[in-house]
Amino acid sequence: MAKHAAVALLLISLVLLAGALALLVGGTPLAPAQIAEALAHPHATGTSNVIIWELRLPRVCVAATVGASLALCGAMLQGMLRNPLVDPYLTGVSAAAAAAIAIAIALGASAAATPGIGFVAGLAAALLVAALARRGGGIDPNRLILAGVSLSTLFAAIVTLVVVRMQSSNYASTIVAWLAGSMAGRGWHELAVVAPYALVGGLLAIWAIPPLDALRIGELRARAVGVNVDRAQWVILAASSLLAASSVVLAGLVGFIGLIVPHLARRLVGSDARSLLPACVAIGAALCVLADAVCRRIVAPAELPIGVLLAFIGVPAFLYLYLRPPAHAN
Amino acid sequence: MIELRDVGLRVGNRLLLDNVRAQIASGEFVAVLGANGAGKTTLLRAIAGLHAISSGAILLDGVSNTQLGSLERARRVALVTGEEVVLDALSVRGVVSIGRFPHHRWWQWRTQTTDEVAVGRALGAVRIEDFADRFFATLSAGERQRVWIALGLAQETPILLLDEPTSHLDIRIAHEILTLLRSLSQTGKSVVCALHDINEAAAYADRIALLGEGRLLAIAPPETLLSGSLIERTYGITMDRIRLDGGRLRVFVREPSE
Repeated sequence: MAKHAAVALLLISLVLLAGALALLVGGTPLAPAQIAEALAHPHATGTSNVIIWELRLPRVCVAATVGASLALCGAMLQGMLRNPLVDPYLTGVSAAAAAAIAIAIALGASAAATPGIGFVAGLAAALLVAALARRGGGIDPNRLILAGVSLSTLFAAIVTLVVVRMQSSNYASTIVAWLAGSMAGRGWHELAVVAPYALVGGLLAIWAIPPLDALRIGELRARAVGVNVDRAQWVILAASSLLAASSVVLAGLVGFIGLIVPHLARRLVGSDARSLLPACVAIGAALCVLADAVCRRIVAPAELPIGVLLAFIGVPAFLYLYLRPPAHAN
Repeated sequence: MIELRDVGLRVGNRLLLDNVRAQIASGEFVAVLGANGAGKTTLLRAIAGLHAISSGAILLDGVSNTQLGSLERARRVALVTGEEVVLDALSVRGVVSIGRFPHHRWWQWRTQTTDEVAVGRALGAVRIEDFADRFFATLSAGERQRVWIALGLAQETPILLLDEPTSHLDIRIAHEILTLLRSLSQTGKSVVCALHDINEAAAYADRIALLGEGRLLAIAPPETLLSGSLIERTYGITMDRIRLDGGRLRVFVREPSE
């Protein structure tokens, strides 16, 4: 119990520290005292208040939501499919959203409309993948993976086609920027639009904790101990789709968090979903907030796409985690 | 109490078993025998409600298992299988604790004292307390088998089904497990256990259910079943019989003559 409390404290500190560091990063230098002052007086006027409350804090909250959603989604899908290589975009959410947004941009849709289009297309793809993966009352994990991967490839081809056709226009660069993932320009408004869906996803994830725990011993045994596996699969799929679609709308394609963070969290707190899912939320949020801050700082005043940065960090981290012997081998 | 009423079982389009009719009382230990593919595993899964029956009904204490919710069913019947699974970073105690799932409502995440007692009892029954905190992945096949049995015991159900629980076990541990199952049946549980070893079944079970030719050929005390020719017909081999000092019958495959 003491160990759990220590880990919880560590993770909460990590999120707060990441948030505090991210608030320090920006075009206008602000001292920690100014930031604290602005945070303490949300209704005060002044430049630092505007910078903190209108620019940096919403950006931190967006990054935290994206990181937490993706990590939670990855942990749930990996647990449900008992496959450590699964990521949140498996269900085709991101690829479909990308394809829909690419088409929308090419057709001249307004920037304000694209997130909504992406969200709807993402959820529609998840439904299609789920329908294809259906077996009896539940879902066949292998069919889900195959359907997700196949449809994602198809949608990726559509995106490529649109980009190639649009090469001469600046639409192509808009699409490519979106594909690389970025939270530039995202604020309270986008967060408010997405929050209800992410919240429902989060609540469904809480419901899924006990079944996820039992699914660790395999589907047959989970059924034998009383898990309604079919229902659990649908709930997990719904939660994952809502969370992935929310993050896609907020930040485009942000890779690796959903794949890596569950592995990191497992090393830290074990595979018990009661500890794993909260740990994923905390680590995912902290990592994404930090990565976004680095993206804003590293090539300032321009911004590095977060997808690019995370791939540079994510690939070595992934290889390290996978090539290192597991804890039980020591 | 388990009641099988004219149960039919299909695997895909193939009719595996038909018109299976039997009653297994509380406190009874029944061994299920039959050649590979006779339907032992499928029958056990059907009793546990994990394989849909194509006809008839399976009643657990008078209630059809299809009418029971998944949690209620798992409080009445536990199924122990030896199916391999990859488990990373999960301790033996962690695995066995999952057996307490049906005793919790979905919002009850914390381990209760009753869970700890039940898990401790299950670990003790199969003598794995000493490595309760080891990772499951580090265990031998025999040790893993005992963990799966403990998982079933942790469910604390009146009906216990086991699919070949003695495979992978050395003869001493196999003897201990079968003795344990026998003593569990004597405390009032119905124990149904698919086995391959005919003499193991004869030594520990009250009755033997013999599957073959797409049906339940017989369900009878070991003495009756082993003395007749049905067992030879089922496996398609000739057997020799010997009587032990205590008068009990054992069978052996007749060795080819020189």
